[in-house]
Order: sequence, then C-alpha cells, then structure tokens
Amino acid sequence: MSRGQFDDDEILGKAYDATLVRRLGVFVAPYWRRLALATALMFGGAAVELAPPFLVKQAIDGPIAARDPAGVLPLFGLYAAALLAAFGFRYGQTYIVQSVGQQVMVDIRTRIFSHIQRMSLAFFDRNPVGRLITRLTNDVDALNEFITQGTVALLGDLVRLLFIVITMLLLNWRLALISFIMFPAVMLASSVFQRIMRGVYRRVRQRIARINAFLNEQISGVLVTQLFNREEQSRIRFAELSRDYLAAQLESNRTFAVFFPLINFLSVTALALLLYFGGQAVLADVATLGMLVAFIQYTDQAFQPIRQIAERYNTFQSAMASAERVFRVLDTPATVVDPEHPRALPSPVRGEITFENVWFTYDAEAAGPDGSGLADTDDRWVLRGISFTIPAGQAVAVVGATGAGKTSLVSLMARFYDIQRGSIKLDGIDIRELRQAELRRHVSAVPQDPVCFSGSIASNIRLHDESISDEQVRRAAEIARAAPFIERLPGGYEYEVRERGSNLSVGQRQLLAFARAIAFNPEVLLILDEATSSVDTETEALMQEALERLIQGRTSIVIAHRLSTIRHVDRILVLHKGRLVEDGSHEELLAKRGYYYRLYQLQFAEAGELRTEN
Amino acid sequence: MDQLRRLWPFVRRYRRRLLIGALCALAATAVAAMIPQIVRFAVDDLNTRGVVLDRLVQYGGLLLLAALVEGVLRYGQRTQIIGTSHLIDFDMREALFAKLLTLDQGFFTTMHTGDLMTRVTNDLSAVRMFLGPGVSNLLGSTLLLLTAATLMFLTNPMLAAIVVLLLPMVAVLFVVIGGRMRAIFRKVQDQFGEISTRAQENFSGIRTIKAYAQEDAEIRVFREANERYRALNLRYVLLSGMLWPIIGLMLGVIGAFVLLIGGRMVAAGEMTVGELVLFNAYLAQLAWPVIALGWTVDLYQQGAASLVRISEVLQRRPAIASPPDAPRDFVVRGEVEFRNVGLRFSHNRSNGNSSGHHTRASSPADHPLVSGAPEWVLRHISFRVPQGSSLGIVGATGAGKTTLVNLLARVRDPDEGQVLVDGHDVRTLPLDALRRGIGYVPQDTFLFSVPIRENVTFGRPDATEDQIAHALAVSRLVNDVEQFPDGIDTLIGERGVTLSGGQKQRTAIARAILRNPAILILDDALSSVDTHTAAEILAGLRSIMKGRTSIIIAQRIATVKDADQIIVLHNGEIVERGTHRELLDLGGRYAEMYRRELLRAELEDE
Repeated sequence: MSRGQFDDDEILGKAYDATLVRRLGVFVAPYWRRLALATALMFGGAAVELAPPFLVKQAIDGPIAARDPAGVLPLFGLYAAALLAAFGFRYGQTYIVQSVGQQVMVDIRTRIFSHIQRMSLAFFDRNPVGRLITRLTNDVDALNEFITQGTVALLGDLVRLLFIVITMLLLNWRLALISFIMFPAVMLASSVFQRIMRGVYRRVRQRIARINAFLNEQISGVLVTQLFNREEQSRIRFAELSRDYLAAQLESNRTFAVFFPLINFLSVTALALLLYFGGQAVLADVATLGMLVAFIQYTDQAFQPIRQIAERYNTFQSAMASAERVFRVLDTPATVVDPEHPRALPSPVRGEITFENVWFTYDAEAAGPDGSGLADTDDRWVLRGISFTIPAGQAVAVVGATGAGKTSLVSLMARFYDIQRGSIKLDGIDIRELRQAELRRHVSAVPQDPVCFSGSIASNIRLHDESISDEQVRRAAEIARAAPFIERLPGGYEYEVRERGSNLSVGQRQLLAFARAIAFNPEVLLILDEATSSVDTETEALMQEALERLIQGRTSIVIAHRLSTIRHVDRILVLHKGRLVEDGSHEELLAKRGYYYRLYQLQFAEAGELRTEN
Repeated sequence: MDQLRRLWPFVRRYRRRLLIGALCALAATAVAAMIPQIVRFAVDDLNTRGVVLDRLVQYGGLLLLAALVEGVLRYGQRTQIIGTSHLIDFDMREALFAKLLTLDQGFFTTMHTGDLMTRVTNDLSAVRMFLGPGVSNLLGSTLLLLTAATLMFLTNPMLAAIVVLLLPMVAVLFVVIGGRMRAIFRKVQDQFGEISTRAQENFSGIRTIKAYAQEDAEIRVFREANERYRALNLRYVLLSGMLWPIIGLMLGVIGAFVLLIGGRMVAAGEMTVGELVLFNAYLAQLAWPVIALGWTVDLYQQGAASLVRISEVLQRRPAIASPPDAPRDFVVRGEVEFRNVGLRFSHNRSNGNSSGHHTRASSPADHPLVSGAPEWVLRHISFRVPQGSSLGIVGATGAGKTTLVNLLARVRDPDEGQVLVDGHDVRTLPLDALRRGIGYVPQDTFLFSVPIRENVTFGRPDATEDQIAHALAVSRLVNDVEQFPDGIDTLIGERGVTLSGGQKQRTAIARAILRNPAILILDDALSSVDTHTAAEILAGLRSIMKGRTSIIIAQRIATVKDADQIIVLHNGEIVERGTHRELLDLGGRYAEMYRRELLRAELEDE
C-alpha cells in the first residue's frame, strides 16, 4: 500500500473549492446544533481571553500606582475567574468540535464503504484494494482535519484576532497602530514558511514512502538476496534512498531553524517598537504605563492566530484533494443495479439455466448499453453469442484454453457483470429482472482463490448469516469433507482463522469454501476449480470427493482444470475464443476427435506424457 | 540510561558538531535572558520619568540586537544538534539494513515483516526525536531555566521561589496527561487497524461477499467497528482536548500569583513596576521551555523503548555466518553429501504464527495435526550426489523436501549430522563462495519490482547480452518477454506488468541458470509451468547442466524420473531411494505414486 501512495495521492490543488465544501456540508449539517454551541463557546472564549492583559493594566495603573496593596486582591479574583472561564470555553469547544468530527467520520466512512459494496466487480478490477483502503482511512482523516480545524477553529482564529484588534483600538488607537505594524510581517513570514514547508514535507513523505517500499520488498525477499550474493548492491541502493531522505529532512530542519528565530525576532521587534513609541506616549501622558504593558501582551496574543491561519492552508489543501477523491468514489454509479420492479422466482426454485445469444465484453464503456459500440469481430468480446440450456439438476463442466471465456461465463451467471446482448435466465426469468440478493441466494459461486476471513472457522462457513445453525455448519463441513481437519484444530469450529486464512493451507481453505457453499444450500452452484499445484495427492483426493458431493442433485457449472472432475459431470461445454464449439458427454466428445479431443491432450498433457512412455 | 550507552558508537563521530551546538545553545540562552532585563529597565525608567528619548532608542536598539544575535545562535543550535540527529538517523538506518541482510531465516520467521519495518522506520524516528529535539530541548530549557531562575532570585527571592516551585508542575501535568493519552491512543490505533483490516478483507474477498449476498451484513459489521472506534476516540479527545487548555490555565494561575503577590509588593513599595514586568516576561519566556521539558521526558521514554527494539536487531548475531577461519579462495565444484542429517522443528514459533515467513516446509498450515506435531522435520538423512549427477526428491507436502535443500545453501543448519559440499562441512566454508556455487529456484518465486533484465541478472550483474539471451531461451521466457511493452526492460510488479505464475517461475529459472552454478536446485519450480513447456525446459537444462550437479524437487514423478538417483521423503525420513526403474521394481510408495499418475492416463484413454 505504501508504494502506490505517492502516485496520485500527492497532487494537490486549491485550498478551497465551493462545490466540494458544499457537498461536505451535507455530512456536517445534521450536527449543526452542536457546532452552533461550539461556536458560541468559541466567542465566549475569545472574549474572556481579552481580560487578563486588561486586568494587568488595571492593577498597574490602579492599586499599584496608588500604593494600595489591598486593592490588588479583587483584580486577582477576576484574573483567576477569567482564566477558569477561558479554560472551560476552550475545552468545551474543542471537545464538541472533535466529537462532531468523529461522528461525521463514521458517517462518511460507512457511506463510502456501503457505496463500494454496491459496486460491480468491474469496479474492483479497476481499483486496487490499497487505493480503496486509502479512501477509507487517510482521505477520511484529512476530511476530519478539515472539520475540526477548518470550521469552528478557523472562525475562532479570525474572531480572536478581530477581538484583539478592536480591543486595542478602543483602549488606545495610537499604541494599537504601532502594534499592528508587525502583523503583516508575521503573516507574510508565516505564509512564505508554509509554502516552503509544503514542498519540503511532500519530499520527505515521498522519500520515506520509497524507503518503506524498498525495505518491505527487501525484507520479503531477503533470502533471494542472500542466496544470490546481492547484499552489497542492496545496501548501496538503500543508502541512496536513505540519503535522499536525509537531504529532505535537513532541508526541513534548516527551514525551521530560520523560521522560529525569525518569528521570535519579529516579536521582539514589536516589543522594541512599543517601548520606543509607547514610551514616548507614556512620557507625553497619552498612555499609561499599565496600558503599555497590556499592549505588549496583546501583541503577543495576536501572533498566535495569525500564524495558525497560515498553517490551516495546508490542512485545507489536502482536505480538498481528499474530498475530491472521496466524491469521485461516491459518484461512481453502480453498473449492476437491481430492477425497479423486481420479479420473484417461482417457488420452489428448480435451477434451470438458459443462455440465449449472450455477448459480453469487460470494456462495457466501448460497447455501449446494447453492445452496438463494438463490431462482432472486435477482439474485445469475451463471449460471442453463447446459447445453451442446462436442465435443473444437471452437472456441467466448462473447458477451454486460457482466455476462452470460462471464468467470465461463471461470473455472468452470478451477475457480477452485466451482459451487453442476449439474456441469461434462471427458471425462465431473466436474471436482470431479479434482485441481486434473491439471485445469489439461489446461485452460489465458489471462487477460484478460496477466500478466508479473520474470525472463527464457523463464521467462515456461515459468514454473517445467523440463520445457519451450528448444526448446519457442522453438517456442511462433514459433507464437504472439511470436518476431519477442523476437528483436529485446537478449538475445532472456534479455531481463529487469521487474516486471509494464513494459518490454513490452501487445501484446507478450499475445503472451507466448499463447506460454505453447502451451508448456503443453493439450487445452482458455480465452481471455479483451479488445480492447485501446492496440494499433495491426499488432499487433492479429499477435494475431489468433496466436489462430487457438492454437485450432487444441483444444477452445477464447474470450470474444470482437473481430469477427475470431468469424469463426474453429465455434460461438457467446450469454449473456444468466446464461442461454444462443442457440447456433449466426455465420451461423445472424445469420439468426435474434434477440438475437445485436442484440447484434452494439450491441457492435461501430464497424462499424455506418461502415455507416450508406455 | 543504560540504553543510551548503545548510542555512543553512533554519536561519537559527531562530537564536534554537538559541541558547537551546545555552545550556541549556551550563548543563545545568555542573550535571551537579557531581553526581560532590558524591558525592566525601560519600564522602571518610564515609571520614574527619569528617561530621555535617547535612552529609549538605546533600549530599542539593544532589544533588536539581542534578538538578532539570539536568532543567529538558535539557528546554529538547531542546525547542529537537530541536524546531527538526522545524520545519526541515517547512519543507524544504514546499519540496521546492513544487519538485516546478514541475518538468517530463523530470525525472519520469528519476526513479522511489518514489525521489522516498524523498527527501521517508527522506532528509529523515535530515537531520532529524542536525540534531536529531545536533547536540544533538554539543553536549551535547562540552561534557560537555570539562568532565569538565578536572575529572578537576584531580583526578588520570594517571588522567584513561587515561580520556580510552580513552573515544574506544568511539565508534570504534561507528562501525566501525555502518558494517559498514549495509553488510550494505542487502543485507538488497534481499533483503527481493525477497521482497515475489515475493509481490506472485504475488498479482497468481494467475490465471495457478493456470491453469498453478504453486503448488508458486511456494512453492519463495518459500521459497528467504526462506532467502537468513535467511542474510543472520544475518550482520547476528552484527554487531548484538555491538554493545552489546562496547561494554559496552569501558566495563567502562576501569572496570577505573580500579579497578586508582586502587585502587593509593588504597591507596598518593596519592588518596582519594572521588576514585576520582568517576572511576567520571564514567565512568558519560560512557558514553552517548561512544556518542552515535559515533552522531553516523553521523547526519552519513547526513544529508550524504541532503542531497545532497535538494539535487538543490531545486537543480533546471525545464526548462519562464515566461520572466521574459512578458506579464502574456495570454489564449489559440485559434490554434495548429507551424513545422517537431522533437523528439529524450531520451537520459538508459536502455533499458527505463519504469515510472512518462507520456510514453508515447517509451517503449521502444512501440518494440520498441530498439537501432536513431531519433533523432527528431518531425520537420518544420508545420501551422496557425485559431482555432475542429478538427484530427484519426491514426497507429499510437508515431507521436508524444501527444508532438506535449504540445508545445502545454509538457509538453516542441521541439528545433527553434516552437510558436505566437495567433502567439506558447509559450516566450515565461506558463506558467499558456497552460495555463489549454487543456483537456487525456490518454491515461492520471489521477484523484485525492477525490470525483468535486473531480475534475470540478479545473481550475475555482469552478464553479457548473449548470456542473458541464452538464459531466456533455456527458461522459455523469450517469447513472453517479446510481448511485454518494453521487452526485457519492462518493469514488473505493482507499477509494471503482472507476471503469471508460470512466467514468474520461468524468470526465477533464468535468474538461477544465468549464474552458471555448479549446483542447480529446482524446488518445485515448474509447478505453474504447463507440462509441455516444463518438458522443454528440463530438456534445455539437461544440456547446460552437463557436468554440473542438479537437485530437483517435484510433486509429479514425470519431472524427476530421468534423475540419476531419486529419494522419496516421508515424514522427514528417506523411505525409498534408487533410480526410477529400481524404485518401480521396489513396488513401494514411489511405485504407488507412479501408478496413480498412470491411472489418470488410462482414464483418459477410455
């Protein structure tokens, strides 16, 4: 994931985009009451924070100048009260805004996730998992930053600055104008600094990402590096990457080393100016000494919001970029959708499958909705006018060379994609007229790569379907021949499967996938039966047996990669370049000595090789 | 503090830079401490009206000068001290990586890739943060606190005592709240990890999700995980939202006390207004350094913990290394012998901990009987492969085939018996020379995301075009390469083309044969290659491996039947050995495996 990150995710644009902000507003709007409260607290805080310097002025010009020690106490009381109030206001504001931010994050994240769930497989073919994860994590975080720092906090900076400016002008406009001299300089310095740092940070991030990607690969492949005596070259390459990173880091450090002293210098300059001009004002009796001291503090207080406003620019910019990416996902329309008025399957479902002149391409855009965008001869067609009927309960194997369209055929039956021409029917009803959930309750696909999820063995069989009882889970495992290995695991059905089933062997994962298919008890089964090279003969025999039990009494389409599978089916469909070229039983097709016969010899040549020896 | 000593070797070479940085910090502190003094004199002069315009100009000028000098010195402090931390960071990263490259598979099987990555990135950065900002803060803050405290005591001991006693509370507050924040944050991170794992699993398994119409249930589960994350985050925000306001409050309270007590003193004539302003100015000046001290405590704790984790790697001795007295100019000729070799299951791995490691033969996934796992992976293994001959190894998954060949290249060392190459125990040979003599095609093909050319020439960077072309031809990769967009210079991996399983294996074969090795090992290296091509490759190999030793592991007998000798492994022991013909005559396990393969062929003939 770390590697791809700097391709498209680092392009930054505007810091403010009205359309995007309006769309983000939709997510924030439900919580406007809480945000209004936070804003009120913010105003309170900004007002209360003005008090301490003023109270200092009152103390110096009042009781202290009048040599009245007792008079200091009430001012102290007010001072302490102002501090407590400021604390309360600030804490309350921060907490409320953050909690709204968290809530909005949950909303946005769930919304993105739900939307992605509705996407057809074509979407997942286009978008690598890592990129989708980034949408859900980093991008949503950037939006949270926008909400917590961009809404109330930004307003807070402006209000705080405005309040200080007004107070200073009201107290003494001459001293106020002197203080203001340095404000533009601070603003300028901060924004120049921010601009430089944006570039520097980007370089730092890119370079550490490169180090991470390299490191990850090197650690995974360390054995190869060692066995091929390549340690030295790896070290050299790593040092190069590391040196680039060092250069960016030093650049960032130097920028800070200039900026912090510069801001300090500007602040002291403001002090010197106030002392010089303010001192003259005090001497001329235009201002009091207490006033001068208060102004020194106000000037310092004003520096902070000025600097923060400059900093928020970066937050905004990355939030806008993230918002754009998030909305791009949310705006992707679902291509496989449920009909407005879905039909119901006749009950009970029999499981008869009909393909009528089915044309299909993965390039749905070029083909257009009715497939007229592509000529019949175009290479992009994966299936070209396939027609067949599978009566209920029949087991069919689909064979063909790589790229013949076998996998597509199965994906279409489960409606992972929509076809461009023709129709696919289940018990006489076009599957596009059914709800997807309804269709898939009766048609199950066992995918090629047996997928496991983290959780118990039982939850891997029943998934989230609570209506499948423990007993049914157990029975399914027994039928799928998975029970023997499950029962040997510590904890049996409660054994914790790790992410991607990494603590199970490929064979075990396959058996689990079979058990899952049985537990859901569909009328139609679609099986992608990939011959797994890393499975030993014994496990393979088990899987074969499970497969036989699986297809018994169900309409089944099996993409066969194994000889033994073909023996157990009633009928074989032979695909070649997207066309159905032969159709019949194993014996019939062999006797025909046609395409199947040759394919058979080629694809299962391991057997062929042995035969030539005998 | 004991940990810190481990840093010394890395710090030592930058002594000069650090010294200059420290001197800058010292001088900057002295200058900074003068600024409030100047303000104080100005205020007092203003208050007593004993001032003339010239004096004001002087004060203003002095302030600017002080700020300028301080600025230059702080620049020096930062670039020297924090800059050095970046240099040390670089050195340590290089040392860590160099160390990783020498470590054995035993180490990598116990460590997850993610964990190692964390050590080289996050942990290293924690150490750097301590060495840079941490040390710089510690130095700057301590110096300023000491100087300011001294100057305040000289001005007004009582007020100074209040400030000096109360200020450290701010640092304590920071450490306490910060510590609790970190504890909760860890939970927040864990929950976040769960969210991203959920999404990851969902997206990777979307076919299954859709096939079983589980979308709504998945959304529900995802939302629940998110709600838990939110709840934890709110607990975190409750604390983190408090941190800065409460520090502000604390500083304000100290300021209020100064105002109250100092104000009364001034009113009573025991102190001047300028002195009160001076205290206020020091208070403002010390606020950040005191917080920074608290932060430094944090940085130290994290840095020390991270340093331990880094040291674990740096101090680790590779279990497999060249012996110091290994012969210098050893070249492998190719005779291989195993003498009563035995290897135990390694016990440092817990059950089920199998992600991201490479010695598949001993993975618990291949041993469903986790609880009753046997003690030995391999036992009583003896055989001899004369130079130039070939050995075939067959056996079920988990029989120990991969582990066996791993002993030859010293991926692991045996627990008993000896592995000999050209009559020498491999443990007495120089490791690089031993491995240089071996061309290894592992079972899990690993290619790097660099162009195909670089992958193929991986073990022979100096190979000529002719040699490369020949390797591509023998491994039957040449036609595939022609079809790639940039031919042999096509980048592979995530940012280039994705190779099929067979293409990957053939690339790995090309990589191995380009080394022109004395011993070639194919570990189930043709499993994803179609049988026709596999036969071609084997035929090609036979011609180039004339006079060289080859060891071929396979699931299918067809791949090994021409070997000079074949051994059958079962549960870690050699149960049968001989030539193809002899083994068939023996009528045992091998003959049975072969019979099964033939049965399939007959089925086809029906």
